[in-house]
Amino acid sequence: MVSLTIDGKKIEVPLGTSVLQAARMSDIFIPTLCEHPRLSLYSGCRLCFVEIDGFRTLQPSCTMPVAPNMVIRTDNDRIRAARKFILTMIFSERNHFCPFCVVSGGDCELQNEAYKLDMTHWPLAPNWKKYPVDATQKYYVMDHNRCILCRRCVRACAEMSGNFTLAFEERGANSLLIADIGVPLGDSSCVSCGSCVQVCPTGAIIDRVSAYRGRETQLERHKTLCIGCSVGCGVDVLTRDNHLVRIESNWDAPVNRGVLCKLGRFIPLEEDRQRLVTPMVRKNGSLQVATWDEALDLVASKLKPLIGKKDKGIAALVSTRLPAETLYLFKKIFADGAQSDLVTSIEEGQPTALPANLAEEMQKPFEGSLDVIHQADCVVLIGTNLVDNHEVAGFFVKRSLPNGVKLVVIDPNDNPMDNLADLVLKPAKGNDIELLQGISATILKQGHAKGKSALNSEKCIEAARKVGISVDKLVEAGNLIGSALKPVFIYGKGVTTQNSSSVLKALLELAEITGALTKDYSAVIGTKGEANSMAAVQYKLDKPFILNGHQAVCLTLGDHNTSPRLLERLTKVPFLVVQASYASQITAQADVILPVETWSEQEGHYVNLDGRLQKAIKSLRAPEDVLSNETVLKSLASRLGLKVDNKWKEQLLERIPTVAIVES
Amino acid sequence: MPKPKISTDWMAGCAGCHMSVLDIDERIIQVAELADIRSSPITDLKEPDVSGVDVGILEGGINNTANEEQAHRMRKRCKILVSLGDCAVFGGVPAMRNFFTIEETLRRAYIETESTDSSGQIPNDPELCVPTKVRAVHEVVPVDVFVPGCPPDPDVIFYVLAELAQGRIPEIKGDKLQWQ
Repeated sequence: MVSLTIDGKKIEVPLGTSVLQAARMSDIFIPTLCEHPRLSLYSGCRLCFVEIDGFRTLQPSCTMPVAPNMVIRTDNDRIRAARKFILTMIFSERNHFCPFCVVSGGDCELQNEAYKLDMTHWPLAPNWKKYPVDATQKYYVMDHNRCILCRRCVRACAEMSGNFTLAFEERGANSLLIADIGVPLGDSSCVSCGSCVQVCPTGAIIDRVSAYRGRETQLERHKTLCIGCSVGCGVDVLTRDNHLVRIESNWDAPVNRGVLCKLGRFIPLEEDRQRLVTPMVRKNGSLQVATWDEALDLVASKLKPLIGKKDKGIAALVSTRLPAETLYLFKKIFADGAQSDLVTSIEEGQPTALPANLAEEMQKPFEGSLDVIHQADCVVLIGTNLVDNHEVAGFFVKRSLPNGVKLVVIDPNDNPMDNLADLVLKPAKGNDIELLQGISATILKQGHAKGKSALNSEKCIEAARKVGISVDKLVEAGNLIGSALKPVFIYGKGVTTQNSSSVLKALLELAEITGALTKDYSAVIGTKGEANSMAAVQYKLDKPFILNGHQAVCLTLGDHNTSPRLLERLTKVPFLVVQASYASQITAQADVILPVETWSEQEGHYVNLDGRLQKAIKSLRAPEDVLSNETVLKSLASRLGLKVDNKWKEQLLERIPTVAIVES
Repeated sequence: MPKPKISTDWMAGCAGCHMSVLDIDERIIQVAELADIRSSPITDLKEPDVSGVDVGILEGGINNTANEEQAHRMRKRCKILVSLGDCAVFGGVPAMRNFFTIEETLRRAYIETESTDSSGQIPNDPELCVPTKVRAVHEVVPVDVFVPGCPPDPDVIFYVLAELAQGRIPEIKGDKLQWQ
């Protein structure tokens, strides 16, 4: 511990703490601009200057480590004059027009610092050099006139999403933030994660949709979950007068810790489907407005005679974007109550059924937490595309690569991470087992193995050679993966949609041999699919949805964006009930439409891909006549005379999960 | 003690700051009781007294040689000079013209403009003032008090006028300081 004095206060902090951190620990405020608590230090703005005894000049506190008996002052005339001068320089560098700027009036860190120093004007006039505005990106605009060259965006692009699109070119007054080698943002490798938008201290990078729609103090901030996919990132949903204004990442959310992808941040604001605001019933061939009683009574009258019928009965399909409470009610009503033979989810178990069955066979979970990626020294992706789906998991991988983490991509198809990989393996269709066992066998032969295995090395290597996998490739893979101290295996639909669990078993065997799967630890991650894929499979809503003369089909879709493939299967359904938030070709065919809440209007629990049970809360109020999925299902149950209960949580553990489910 | 004399003038501004002055509403009577409002673009007398005034208030930036004359005149004839509004303090919206050459802007305004149909002509009468780079007032003459805002809040303007009328220099900080 180091003792020092700061503003007359004697404090003790651990060795290695910076003066800035030490000040914050003692509730002393030091202004900063280029510093951000979640990004590496740049120490470029010098606004954090402090006076330290023994130092001739003022020192930047962000990068000054504490030393024993240091005497520090954070606020006096000399320091204020220096800060004012720094801001004067910054204002004179570019063109800071406050009157019409989006963040002016409270949300601009530069302006706020100027106000704190009572700056009423610019002591130095700008040189009026014109800087460009790049409006080619779909979701945000970059106005270089407002840039203070703090490089927060560059660091965020590198350290949060690992995309490395942003950088700086040239020097001095010509310094310019660029994308890739200097292309318009819209043509660049930007993946629209929005990290730069969120960390920019001025109005240089602004979100298009929320521009001018409210300053921080005029908005309500709701801390909830993104329902985009099974990663389950924490988000802050910003609303004003019951309108969705902007979505930001939650810096403290345990899963994503501040990073977010376009599916969570920008795409929900692009919603342009027509909202369903009233129940509708088909009369004389066309859909007419009806009351809730009319609609639900009609549904009950059609379903009641079919209760218990195993042949030509009721079929029911639910969206995996819905909360566990809804999924459970759905199962209780249609599977347990109505005893339908076809009760499943829209994902039909594709990403989850196979591993779930394996967990039951093994009588224990075998997957681990996403956190293992942050400690990995080798990541193996097998049958999963972390650029087009589950992007945040992909960011975790990409941003670790500069630290020397090795990447192996196993995918018969082109994988967008092929160009980042140290080793790319493209097994021909049906040869996955030979490949995996071949690698396992090679590692055993090479003597790297950290776990036991009953594999016959020579047989496996020979089997691999027979299907065209060269020994050289196996040796390369064996070296990379076998020598890793903390390997991580991430698998997806490429493995879970196989005909049998043999590929997954071979993967788990490889994980065991490399020490990634032991009795108490797992570094195997299955990406699953939608937000509540895990909950759906736990409730056994994982069968294929194959209609076979079913007389009534009930779709509990919520706000799911339905595919043409689903629409095709619904032609000639005698009675179709759709519980949805938005109009679609499917609702156009329905006999009864029951309007329900969207993701931002509902609340409920979700189980993410590594077993975290989290709660999503309401950010918006639904239109007056729109009900929650739970309310609709409960009303239906009571009309059908079916009993329901609230045991959704207990029932999540009815079957052994692939990853231990823990309440967050 | 005679009442302090106040004069105002406007240059490359939109008159919004003077509108904001009027937005102090009935409080203008209090100001008029404490001070002698000598001249302004919106009253009968337009120029500050040759014998001098105590407080000069300028709205708008400096856009051409005529504005320069106005600024010098006000500076010469007043003891305390106030820059009122973002245009006077920073250059403001008109300062965006600085991204173009004067030739380009004159051509756009008089020749390329959509609202004239016959071939335009850039005025070049020797009696006309000459456009210059747009500057904040303090880039041309020394300024004593800066009141930023676009426009400054009427409550801030009342505070400024009240302080000056009572012989004090107003302090623009905290709630009173805003640049937009």
